[in-house]
Amino acid sequence: MKDFRLYDISDFVIDEDFIRWVHEQREEDNQFWNTWLQQHPDKHLVIAAARRIVESIQFEQSNIDEQAVEQEVSRLLHTISSQKQELQAAPRKGLVISYKWWYAAAVLLLCTTGAWYFFVRNNSAKPFAYNSMVAAKHLIEHTNTSNKPLELTLPDGSRLTLAAKSRVSYAHTFGLSDTAKAGVTRDVYLLGEAFFEVTKDPHRPFRVFANEIVTKVLGTSFTVRSFEKDTTIQVIVRTGKVSVYAQAEATASAKMSEIILTPNQQLVYERTGQKFQKVLSSNPAMIAPPTIERSMVYDEAPLDKVFSDLSSAFGINIVFDSELLKKCTVTADLTNEPFYRKLDLICGAIDAEYELIDGQVVIESAGCK
Amino acid sequence: MLKNDTQLEAQWLQRLQQNDEQALAAIMRKYYTALYNYGARFTNDDALVKDCVQEVFISLWQRRENAAAILSPRYYLLRAVKNKVLKSLHQHNSKTSFMEAEDAYDFLQEFSVEKLIIDKQMSEEQATILRKTLSQLSKRQHELIYLKFYQHLDHAQIAGLMNLSRQSVYNLLHETIQKLRNLWQAEIFPPAP
Repeated sequence: MKDFRLYDISDFVIDEDFIRWVHEQREEDNQFWNTWLQQHPDKHLVIAAARRIVESIQFEQSNIDEQAVEQEVSRLLHTISSQKQELQAAPRKGLVISYKWWYAAAVLLLCTTGAWYFFVRNNSAKPFAYNSMVAAKHLIEHTNTSNKPLELTLPDGSRLTLAAKSRVSYAHTFGLSDTAKAGVTRDVYLLGEAFFEVTKDPHRPFRVFANEIVTKVLGTSFTVRSFEKDTTIQVIVRTGKVSVYAQAEATASAKMSEIILTPNQQLVYERTGQKFQKVLSSNPAMIAPPTIERSMVYDEAPLDKVFSDLSSAFGINIVFDSELLKKCTVTADLTNEPFYRKLDLICGAIDAEYELIDGQVVIESAGCK
Repeated sequence: MLKNDTQLEAQWLQRLQQNDEQALAAIMRKYYTALYNYGARFTNDDALVKDCVQEVFISLWQRRENAAAILSPRYYLLRAVKNKVLKSLHQHNSKTSFMEAEDAYDFLQEFSVEKLIIDKQMSEEQATILRKTLSQLSKRQHELIYLKFYQHLDHAQIAGLMNLSRQSVYNLLHETIQKLRNLWQAEIFPPAP
């Protein structure tokens, strides 16, 4: 909280709240400042002087009427939709995009579900609970009642390791070669935990249904895990790319979102609020070969090189202002440190701070001399 | 900025990331006037500024995958518009290198003293002094107070946009305000003849 009592004229003049009051005269601001002045009557002169200075800064603004803005908005939307059509008309381009999925090499995926809890609590079956999803489908089901992981091979050659007390189901026709046409998917229903190594097939997406959440990949390896009593569903990606979306009851929210997760990102789905949140995993793992790490010793290295090494080693996007930080250099030995320790060392060296926002690292700094 | 505004913007960015064109349109509606006005500070070519704003939004759409990482859309867009306008001005006039163009641009800004005379019943005499004070400000100072008072950017964002350190922004701002303060003080306590 700002202590306006300590403010001098100049401090008021550059204070955002003060400027807004002078410029916009909003009701809530009027109320605040009038009350404040009643409490601090000795500040009337200071406030009046500051007001005058702010008021004297008046710019000639070219006014654009609403109609002109709308015209520009429709011009923009038109450009975008024509770009989209071009993309569809050119199948080669579409191919390039789908090839991105081939880079997906290995995915660690963690699903925490609470199907059982919900199922038991309300006797009426939730539409996306495991039992409801597998009912009335002719499925092959494997249940691991032991205390040890169970290894299985799926008909398409994909392998999965089913953890203790977990269940998985898939269709009889799963992965058959005559189903290899457009629009066919490889669907697996899961309650519990499993590690998947999926064979690559960009024409037949591999989908894991875990309660309200569907995780889609085109060929990677990953783990899915469920707990009985959790109210959130979590998906962690270690390498590769997966897309996650909700299979919600209302069509509006079903359309809501398809979220792409990249390495070391974690998705938390809050079941009651039906909300997604993307965060970074708490201990990101390297996706590059360990030899890369040995080269992470820097002597006066430019910052963008250090960040780009770190970014590609962990597959985590690091957002920073390259213009502002172009003079920064780093001298540090970053081998054998966990990801966040590495980040601390770099930020300490350049006097910066980082924030984790939406599954990415955002660097905040005033720049280097 | 009000908290609600920030939340609303975060929502737009989230929706943008999820391929919602209407979110892009909403962002444009909100910022168009501010962006156009800022762009027009660098050139009188109205069509060029409009094209640049269009291009900025098209590239925002193309990079929508990372949209939610944008902390301040206003800052992001202002910066993009400035770069785009300076770059295309440079292409039109390739005698100077871009590095030069980056620092050697003009900042065209008219202060509206006339408006003050009408709105605030300022005397012609006072207006003349104000006009004179304002005309003594450098173009950097003009840009600075424009960004501060009209685009409501914080010091770090102004520093980023103007390639200055945060400290220089602070110093420059104080110097500017001191000039204006002196002006009003001189008026309140007129110097002895």
